[in-house]
Amino acid sequence: MRLLIQIIITAVVCFMFQKLFPWWSMAIGAFLVGFVFSNTGAKSFLAGFVAVALLWFGLSLYIDANTQSILTEKVSQLFPVNLFVLTTLIGGLVGGFASMTGSLLKP
Amino acid sequence: MKVFKFGISLLITVALTYCLNRGWDFGTPIPPLGKFLDPFHGFWANAESRSVPDHELPIDGLRDKVSVVYDSLLIPHIFANNDDDLYRVMGYVTAQHRLWQMEFQTHAAAGRVSEIIGDKALDFDRNQRRLGMVYGAENATKAHMADSVIGRMNRAYTEGVNAYIAGLTYEGFPLEYKLLDYAPEPWTELKMGLLLKNMSKTLNIGEDDFQMTNALNLFGKEMLDILYPDQEGVGDPIVDNPGGWRFDAVKLDTVPLALPDQLVNIEPATQVVRGVGSNNWAVSGLKTANGSPILANDPHLSLSMPSIWFAAHMKSPNVNVMGVTFTGSPVIILGFNDSISWGATNAQRDLVDWYKIQFKDNSKNEYLSDGVWKKTNKVVEKFEIKNDEPFYDTVVYTHHGPVVYDDSFHGDSERKYYAFRWIAHDESLELKTFYLLNHARNHKDYMAALDYFSGPAQNFVFASTEGDIAMRIQGKYPVRRKDEGKFVLDGTNTSNEWQAYIPNDQNVMTKNPARGFVSSANQYPVDATYPYYVHSNVYEAYRNRRINNRLRQMEEITPQDMMTLQNDNYNIQAEESLLFMLSHLDSSSLTPEQERIRIELKNWGYINDAQSTAATYYEVWYNTLYRNIWDEMQNQNVALSLPSDFVTIHLMKTDSTLSYYDVQSTPEKEDLHQLINQAFKRSIEIVEQWKTENTNPPQWGYFKDTGIGHLLRLEPFSKKVVNGGNGNAINATTGSHGPSWRLIASMEKTGVKAWGVYPGGQSGNPGSPFYDNLVDPWANGRYFRLHFPHSEKETAGYRYFISTFNPTSR
Repeated sequence: MRLLIQIIITAVVCFMFQKLFPWWSMAIGAFLVGFVFSNTGAKSFLAGFVAVALLWFGLSLYIDANTQSILTEKVSQLFPVNLFVLTTLIGGLVGGFASMTGSLLKP
Repeated sequence: MKVFKFGISLLITVALTYCLNRGWDFGTPIPPLGKFLDPFHGFWANAESRSVPDHELPIDGLRDKVSVVYDSLLIPHIFANNDDDLYRVMGYVTAQHRLWQMEFQTHAAAGRVSEIIGDKALDFDRNQRRLGMVYGAENATKAHMADSVIGRMNRAYTEGVNAYIAGLTYEGFPLEYKLLDYAPEPWTELKMGLLLKNMSKTLNIGEDDFQMTNALNLFGKEMLDILYPDQEGVGDPIVDNPGGWRFDAVKLDTVPLALPDQLVNIEPATQVVRGVGSNNWAVSGLKTANGSPILANDPHLSLSMPSIWFAAHMKSPNVNVMGVTFTGSPVIILGFNDSISWGATNAQRDLVDWYKIQFKDNSKNEYLSDGVWKKTNKVVEKFEIKNDEPFYDTVVYTHHGPVVYDDSFHGDSERKYYAFRWIAHDESLELKTFYLLNHARNHKDYMAALDYFSGPAQNFVFASTEGDIAMRIQGKYPVRRKDEGKFVLDGTNTSNEWQAYIPNDQNVMTKNPARGFVSSANQYPVDATYPYYVHSNVYEAYRNRRINNRLRQMEEITPQDMMTLQNDNYNIQAEESLLFMLSHLDSSSLTPEQERIRIELKNWGYINDAQSTAATYYEVWYNTLYRNIWDEMQNQNVALSLPSDFVTIHLMKTDSTLSYYDVQSTPEKEDLHQLINQAFKRSIEIVEQWKTENTNPPQWGYFKDTGIGHLLRLEPFSKKVVNGGNGNAINATTGSHGPSWRLIASMEKTGVKAWGVYPGGQSGNPGSPFYDNLVDPWANGRYFRLHFPHSEKETAGYRYFISTFNPTSR
């Protein structure tokens, strides 16, 4: 339950940060939430990973549907990996590590 | 332990974020992945949906409210209350849709591509600077900014573009900036000069002085005149007015022409593309169904995404004009207004010379001219290179122009220095011509507008609602002695230099000729009684005849007829060569398959339609034959130009003894008869090979495989089309070039009606539905009615959305 709440709050905080600041601001958001919740390192990583991965996946899926995949189709030909997988993974990894770092700061 | 874990975790997070926030280059460049894939600001943010609400935008410097109504093709109809606001908003709107292209084109013109893509563009960039592209653009900009009206217009436009750029964050950057990881820089007045020089380079740098010099020394003057005649003597000239040139022509003192006696061992860095041309014509009301003149224009250029053209309608109390502009110019370049329409094709003429320079010593500080040592001017060009140290290049300028080739650039060990004289280096005021054409009311205004136009020289067609049609070949043309400028020139002697220019009123022109139409298709410009020497590296021999044959026959012409004519795929070159080639085939030696193809060719009607397989067999056969005939020219280790298709076919039919018919790579001695038979069999093998590599039938549309490539050559952002045509047909679509804009304007007194299409789309964003929506209609010969409202109210029936621009309150 606590994990679920951390995931939701991380996603909400990262969403707000990214609305205002560049992409890396979500690392700061995940870090802060990780610090506040101070779960174990592994759990915090999971929370940050899932939260940002879902956030990035959700928004890219929404854009894709809203624009009839007009750009996804073209840009995906430039990458060897599926764009949704890549987007989700990269967002998740940064979110996860940032969140874990936050949790490890608590003495 | 905890601190240690924290430290490691922090390090990983920071390192990961850093690595994903910058681009990498492992052979292929990789954009900064975190930044690029971020769905809030990365490439995802460039995907556009079809629904756009009406919206308001504040911009600095605006005097009054400006409404921009977009129609269903995303063409902006700009309604402003004064010209300053009109040009300011035109700049803003063009940047909204095409910013990356605007900047990339001008970077290319200025030799700055290495900044964006790295050192693989350095040779291209150095050539641009060494040709004096920036030098020419600076001269043009100086002249434009010194003109009070044009200077003011360019400033307003520039500020409009910069207002858009100033409001951009990473999220709003066009996709290409994100892919290549750089940011837009401010627009400048110089960039408009660079755009003009880009067109000059595309259209008016055509020359083969090195190649002709080599041909002269290898083959002799007599053979040279056979292989590369000044005039092919076919078809009507653009203006046929024998005995009508009643003026005192400028005369030069006669000096004997000194022919160069050495080969030029330079690999030219500028590739001149053959078969690029354009069509335009206007028919008088006497030949049309409704009694109003009709104008048609289709300039053929390299096909690219985004398109070189951006369509717009600009309306203020002083002007109401519509058409297309070079993306990045404040005025309509080709189009129509309430009273007149105009169009252009390229007017080839030799506007380039190479002067052999004699330096005093290796320092290149002084060079010889009329027996005295003159000082050179050295310019150090700095090239920023992505992921690398800057490169510095010293370019030596003489009074002729820059020394393009030297020991550090494409030169040979013998150190032959050639200075480059190009008309596009001179001060000029082209945007004034277009500004005045935009505002013109009649033929007199059109003539006054063209007086400002120096280059790239064009055949300007004209039609008006008053019923006039006209053609004027306008450019700044040096007066030439016969054969002068065809070969490299001696730079030590000023009598070889450009002494005078043909006065504007002595240029080739005509108004309302008796035949009821004017036309141009890059053919030889004028009849033999014109008192000036006219020469170019290439004149068109086929399209012009088809156009004139059709226009002569046609009566009761409608705009629909003109559309059909612009899409005509009739191949006169085939008509004049195929029967001759077939007559040489030894049909007894053919396999059943070869015989089947022979019959198919025999029954072909010479139409290069997309579905024709005969067209494919003809084209491959002819091209194979052409290459085999001129094989010795391609195998020389100096640069040579190949004779034209027209000359090749003419020689085949009239001279069966040419030594060129022998294929050099074989021990046997071939004659034309053998060559034609060999080429036939070889061409069938080539098509068979093609069939094994392609799933579609070898129909011409598939075989020709026309591609409209993205400016960065990114395949997913490029388009393929299946259509007919050929460089020598009116629908001059080749694999990479074609009609870049098609306009038909019916000049009716009750209101001009116009139709247009271009291979591209109004948006430069690959993530927009308007990126390529015009491509397929263009390929299928379709047109769109160009809505030409006089007020915002009239747009009600075809409004897509409205952008309202408001002055910022201060």
